[in-house]
Amino acid sequence: MKKLMKLLSVIFALSLVAAACSDDATTDAGSDTTAADGGGDAGYLGDGSLGEVTVEAGGAIQIRSLNAITGDVAFLGLPNQRGVEQAIADYGQIKGFDVDMGVGLDDLCSADGGQAAAQSIVADEQVIGVIGTSCSGAATAAAPLIGNAGMVMISGSNTSPALTSDQQGNAGPDYSVGYYRTAHNDLFQGAAMAEYVFNELGLTTAAAIHDGDPYTDGLATAFTNAFTELGGEVTGYSAVAKEDTDMVPVLTEIAAGSPEALFFPIFQPAGDFIADQVGSVSGLENTQLFAADGLLVDGFLELPQSEGISFSGPDTRFGENKNESTGVNANQFLETYEAANGEAPSAPFWGHSYDATAMLLDAIAAASYTDGDNLVIDRAGVREYLNGIKGYSGIIGTINCDDFGDCGSQKITIIEHLSSSDLDASKANVKFEYAP
Amino acid sequence: MADPILEFRNINTHYGAVHILKDVNLAIYPGEMVCLLGGNASGKSTTLKTLLGMVTPTSGEVVLDGEVVNDKPTSYRVERGITMVPENRRLFKRLSVLENLQLGAYLREDKQGIESDLERIYRMFPRVKERLSQKAGTLSGGEQQMVAMGRALMAQPRVLLMDEPSMGLAPALVQTNFELIQQIHEEGIAIFMVEQNANMALSLADRGWVLQTGRVVLDDTAESLLANPDLRKSYLGDAGGH
Amino acid sequence: MTTAVKAKGSKKTGVDKFLTLLRFLLIGAIAIGLIAFVWQQIDPNNPFARWRNPDAQPLTAEQIKGLVVTGLSQGAMYGLIALGYSMVYGVLGFINFAHGEVFMLGAFTGFVTSNKLADAGLWEGGAFIPSVIMTAVLAALIATGAAVLMERVAYRPLRGSPRLIPLITSIGVSFFIQNAVILLFGPGAKGYPPNPEWLQKKRRFDLLGDAFAFEVEGTKLLVLVVASFSMAGLWYFVERTKTGKAMRAVAEDKEIASLMGINVNKTIVTTFAVGGAMAGIAGILWGLLFRSVIATTGFLPGIKAFTAAVVGGVGNLGGAMAGGVSLGTAEALAPLMLLEPLGVAGPTQLRDAVAFLLLILVLLVKPTGLFGERLSSEDRA
Repeated sequence: MKKLMKLLSVIFALSLVAAACSDDATTDAGSDTTAADGGGDAGYLGDGSLGEVTVEAGGAIQIRSLNAITGDVAFLGLPNQRGVEQAIADYGQIKGFDVDMGVGLDDLCSADGGQAAAQSIVADEQVIGVIGTSCSGAATAAAPLIGNAGMVMISGSNTSPALTSDQQGNAGPDYSVGYYRTAHNDLFQGAAMAEYVFNELGLTTAAAIHDGDPYTDGLATAFTNAFTELGGEVTGYSAVAKEDTDMVPVLTEIAAGSPEALFFPIFQPAGDFIADQVGSVSGLENTQLFAADGLLVDGFLELPQSEGISFSGPDTRFGENKNESTGVNANQFLETYEAANGEAPSAPFWGHSYDATAMLLDAIAAASYTDGDNLVIDRAGVREYLNGIKGYSGIIGTINCDDFGDCGSQKITIIEHLSSSDLDASKANVKFEYAP
Repeated sequence: MADPILEFRNINTHYGAVHILKDVNLAIYPGEMVCLLGGNASGKSTTLKTLLGMVTPTSGEVVLDGEVVNDKPTSYRVERGITMVPENRRLFKRLSVLENLQLGAYLREDKQGIESDLERIYRMFPRVKERLSQKAGTLSGGEQQMVAMGRALMAQPRVLLMDEPSMGLAPALVQTNFELIQQIHEEGIAIFMVEQNANMALSLADRGWVLQTGRVVLDDTAESLLANPDLRKSYLGDAGGH
Repeated sequence: MTTAVKAKGSKKTGVDKFLTLLRFLLIGAIAIGLIAFVWQQIDPNNPFARWRNPDAQPLTAEQIKGLVVTGLSQGAMYGLIALGYSMVYGVLGFINFAHGEVFMLGAFTGFVTSNKLADAGLWEGGAFIPSVIMTAVLAALIATGAAVLMERVAYRPLRGSPRLIPLITSIGVSFFIQNAVILLFGPGAKGYPPNPEWLQKKRRFDLLGDAFAFEVEGTKLLVLVVASFSMAGLWYFVERTKTGKAMRAVAEDKEIASLMGINVNKTIVTTFAVGGAMAGIAGILWGLLFRSVIATTGFLPGIKAFTAAVVGGVGNLGGAMAGGVSLGTAEALAPLMLLEPLGVAGPTQLRDAVAFLLLILVLLVKPTGLFGERLSSEDRA
């Protein structure tokens, strides 16, 4: 009996280890649907192959917002959700029918959260499409579920290359049909950072740290691949756990290779600890720090230790760009946003989410017809419309969707952060621009 | 005789729905030695616990120095001179011998009095003094019995309750043990003893009670109890004991 | 005395064989990792390193010392938290899983106080020391209050029920406190103000000659010093004072303790209070070292501290501290000194795994923990 207890306790402890080691589960993309063509003869897109949704008179067209709205990453998800809300309001009715987003859902910025939310979404057969997720990690679990249900999902801030393609015509490991995004693909962001570090700054050795999340892993890999291709040497590639606070071990591991540049495209709070502790590790005294859009947030920029770090991120100089479906431009959007929320957006993907929503509503308009007092929406038609988007003008610029759902403008800028007390000056301090 | 220190007046106790003590009356007078006899499950332990306030009676009165103390905690009674040497001694095994003795005086504030009492106990049990810094759990059974008595004496008791003092002791030690009890008694401390070894207990005691299924069936002087044929039969080993 | 006769069969069961194998594998892996590390330090291009880890670079002495210092300071904080787990376990025999939240509350108190003081210009220069002391005292008070309240509201009504019930309750208490803090402060990370220059500066110690010279950041030194003093203070309290003796007596036998006149309830409250104070101090140290707190800050350090308490032998205070320090050090050193030479990718990400593997190893080799005593039924008889 005692032996048994001992064995059980060992097994229990082993399972703790296993839980600590395991990566977030990824679901493989099922793709049993084919995009439809034709069907245009009835005056609407779609061939009915994914079924139709009937909205009864007086009812509303159902779409959903699925973003990280609580926890550490709420800074990213909240502006996304508000972008969706504003786009619905600006767009107005479709053929006399209201659009309803329901309650904003939470992807918890994790595969588990994405999966749970997606399951609740697909349980409601009235839903046409989802704007989200905020985090690539959540999308890997949510996208296949939503795609298999015949719905579409358009993300304003997923950037992991695994979710779409390698830009050479090969689908990424987590790609599933029905998935689109207006955010950039991190292959471009990684390439932009590598070019800046190697060509502009002339640094030839670099290391990268990710946190196991598909977004950070994808971006760190994109950077190191591009850096090696340019002729640089990668001296270290490591990972932290999201909850880690003591970064000295991982920084020591990186310091062993004495890199000139360290790229850590991760999130707060882990990013805070890296910036804070890098000075205390012997061997990293002269290493320059580079981060990405995950840390390009006010909460991080306000920390004194973030001064001097350069950040890559989407080009957010939207200027007078106008969304062609609603006629709203960035300045008008921001005015409404600040009036409604009492603050400026805490992350840059509100425009991407806004354009994504307007595109989805256009697609619904194009794939629907009225049947008596009811509105009938053809699910296949929605995809057909999105697949065919070319030259759409949005707040973020010109949008073209490729065969794997990448629709973003792919413009990247790199800024150098000068002062933790003047964030606007730092954000305007663009050192490098990149467009494919 | 003076007023009793501790008294039970028509005490009834229950454990859940089970009626344990039934209308029990007891009285312990200063300086006397009394013993409580009874078989297993007769309610002996409950009697002790009720005297100390670890069990609250459902009816009746526990009276200490004329005051009803039914609702008072154990510490209240210990402060007023009631304490116990528990069955199997129950020392704090992971604490040192000295700490065990000091805990006996937990409620006392008179540093000098504590010191002189310690000295008194060292005189009484010289072997305890040799082992002061050892953990109590490492002592032999006889030594533990000495520490347990010393610990109880450190509370400066007027009434010392003893729960089965010879239980678990080697036969050779039982005699010594009763001599120690006698010695304590001679210092003027009243002893209330619960004991299976009725022969030995009654030969020392002034009076005794016999408890049967929670009821006092005999209440007499030790001599007449020793002479009682029924008692001899059931407790004093004439018929082989139990 | 009743002595249970133990049937000590010489036959080995399957379970025995499995455990022996596991022991052998773990110790073997550690040995191979260490040898590989030493070899890599001497010659980074040795055949083993070329096979397992072609990019291997040796660590400099400075870097290894840096790892040791960071591990020790992290471990000291685990140890301080572990004390609370261990004391409550000792007295009540259940694991108070909400203890990590007590630590978190201490860190949050520090966040509020330190920022207020920084706004008043008292978080720099010479004013820093009294400010830190004030913050620490306040944090210890709040943490103590929280721990005491927790005992009164959540655990005392359950006294006497099976151990599983307060255990589950403590998980509920933990969720409650976390969410209350989210409600009060929001879900995001909260920052401490920057520490003054003179504290951040590295200090050099070369008492044992140049080869053993250590450079320690002032902050980590502060953590180590405060943790040592707190531990010494607690040791004095538990071993030398009357209340401490009462605590140990209650831990061993509540009934007899009350027979001594000890107020058992009060002593249990004291136990929670002292454990809470230690966690509060750990919270402040955490805040000074990492300068960031979040509502979930208590979770992982809490679990680690619990692990440390078990590694050290639950119920044993010295063991809790030793367990904490060894756990922190193992976490800092093992990834780079054992896992990396074996070719594990991203080894520092596995620090949690290292912590729990250490737990398994200790349980396999010494099931009572490093300093634990076996409390069997015959011990009680």
